[in-house]
Amino acid sequence: MAVDDKELTPRDTEAFTPTTAGRVGRAGAAALIAWLVLCYPTNILSPFTVGGVEANAASEAIIFAVIGLSLNVLIGYVGTISLGHQAFVGIGAFTSAYVVTEMRQEFFIAALIAALVGAAQAALLGAVSLRVTGLYFGLITLSYGIMTQESIFQIESLTGGTAGQPAPRPIGFESDFRYYYLCLIVLALVVFLDWRLIASKGGRALLALRENPRVAATWGINVKAYTVLGFAISGLFAGLGGALLAHRDTNVVANPFGLNLALVFILMTVIGGLRNRAGVVVGAAFFALLRNGELLEILHVDSLFARDPINLTAEVMPLVLGPILLLLTITLFPGGFGQLTNAVGRWLRGGRFRFVKADKEVQITDVRA
Amino acid sequence: MSAPEPMPAAPTALLQTHDVSIRFGGVQALRDVNIQINEWEIVGIIGPNGAGKTTLFNCITGFYAPTSGRVHYRGKDVTDLPVHQRTNLGMGRTFQNVGLVKSSTAGENLKTAQHLEVDYDPIAGIFGSPRTFEVEQHTTDRARAILDLMGLAHLESTRVQGLPYGVLKRLELAAVLATDPDVLLLDEPGSGMGPEEAEELGDLLLKLREEFELTIVMIDHHVPLVTRISDYMYCLNFGEVLTEGLPDDVRRHPEVVRAYLGDDPDEVH
Repeated sequence: MAVDDKELTPRDTEAFTPTTAGRVGRAGAAALIAWLVLCYPTNILSPFTVGGVEANAASEAIIFAVIGLSLNVLIGYVGTISLGHQAFVGIGAFTSAYVVTEMRQEFFIAALIAALVGAAQAALLGAVSLRVTGLYFGLITLSYGIMTQESIFQIESLTGGTAGQPAPRPIGFESDFRYYYLCLIVLALVVFLDWRLIASKGGRALLALRENPRVAATWGINVKAYTVLGFAISGLFAGLGGALLAHRDTNVVANPFGLNLALVFILMTVIGGLRNRAGVVVGAAFFALLRNGELLEILHVDSLFARDPINLTAEVMPLVLGPILLLLTITLFPGGFGQLTNAVGRWLRGGRFRFVKADKEVQITDVRA
Repeated sequence: MSAPEPMPAAPTALLQTHDVSIRFGGVQALRDVNIQINEWEIVGIIGPNGAGKTTLFNCITGFYAPTSGRVHYRGKDVTDLPVHQRTNLGMGRTFQNVGLVKSSTAGENLKTAQHLEVDYDPIAGIFGSPRTFEVEQHTTDRARAILDLMGLAHLESTRVQGLPYGVLKRLELAAVLATDPDVLLLDEPGSGMGPEEAEELGDLLLKLREEFELTIVMIDHHVPLVTRISDYMYCLNFGEVLTEGLPDDVRRHPEVVRAYLGDDPDEVH
């Protein structure tokens, strides 16, 4: 499936009306996607029966999508990188668990506080990014992530130490199936915020300063303030994602929030397609399902890699497949998953199924440290 | 020239530099530069490459902090203000290498340039407060109107990347107009243009001055263009003001001729 390198041809822009069969096919495909997202993981209108494990795996895919959108703000809009994003998420998770368990507050208050704490700590790193840029800022975020896991997450009075902090699910969303819908609601909220960000002055300011801070400044944009704002929004989304992750697992421990996770976050966002909302969501969901083994199980290849002498567990699969997909994204498919979702989106809305040049969004300069 | 405009009774200084000097390591890029731009004037700044013209712009607009000297705007000392605050006061500038967000469309560029005109808090924008939708509509309309005025309406949803250089220059000018400036600082607006295009640009600048009540400062190597539309002219050389005065006088000044063409005055034109 090679990408069409041509500019838009008249064939692409001319008015196109699908045939009756085409309409039926499009409606059918749209219904199938809606069913897959809304019904399949929770056994509604479904000839299949899935268990709580699968529902939890689907929840994780949705949570990763929230985290992907968070990292997209940082890499795609602000134009910097975070190798410590697992700390952003972890801080949200522990904050939410602490507020519910130790302060006896509602989940929704806890999630709000987690989002705000996430935003505050990200803004702090944003302030650092004004002074240190490029590779060395990447190094700072890397250290920040590891430091957070090794020290802050070990403070027993805050995080419960090795036993972890209990994070019960909110009333009404106790079952794995219902919790999936809670995740979907939060994802919808984050998608809305991201859409409004890009459609308003804040998002435009970020895109301008990422590409050309001198021009942004001459247009009256306060480059420093907006950089910090961009970090804060990224931290806000990450905090929400962390809160969802905490209460999905009902107990938070420091162990999963390692560098391994940070790499998966970056891979899924870039391969998803920077600045492409649908692409990032699909890319993140793909990597989550790859990581928790669900995808390999559906394809019946889970035992293929897990045996001697390779012993590849699902958890490391993103780091095996990720670099290959990253290479393909940068060289052949610069829009990542977004190039695919754009083509599908155009087709579903009654257009032709074509990969077009305008969708090639990710540039190699984006992936600079 | 267009219809003569009534000049203000006494010219008021809009922009002044007082003994502005800047040094980069061992290079004295500007030395005691004093210029004055009056309201409603078009002022040309000429000088050979490396004379310090763009450096002077960078000091005026806030990208460089002068080593010594002050910059005054409307009588206020703005030397220590950051770039975006000077834009807020009414300064608009263009760049030699075209200042646009290349991966966005022309329409998006003009909306971005209206940043200070867009009257809502960025946080309110993110949370989608109803008023932001209204203001956004107004912003889109204004972007369209400016593109229309500049004859670029057909490019509204075209990505900037890859457009011809002349179009980019025009679009950059449109974007700066969208910031609603009082004074335009143009860095080589005529570069890469033939004599005919330069003529058109001159007419356009005169028209824009009428329409937007602008004061214009322009750097250009296109001496015929600058002398035609300027009310006053400065010539910089080696970081110093070589001479200043009415355009025709400056152009014929022997020092200017020498700075541009070397020591042999017979070579002129």
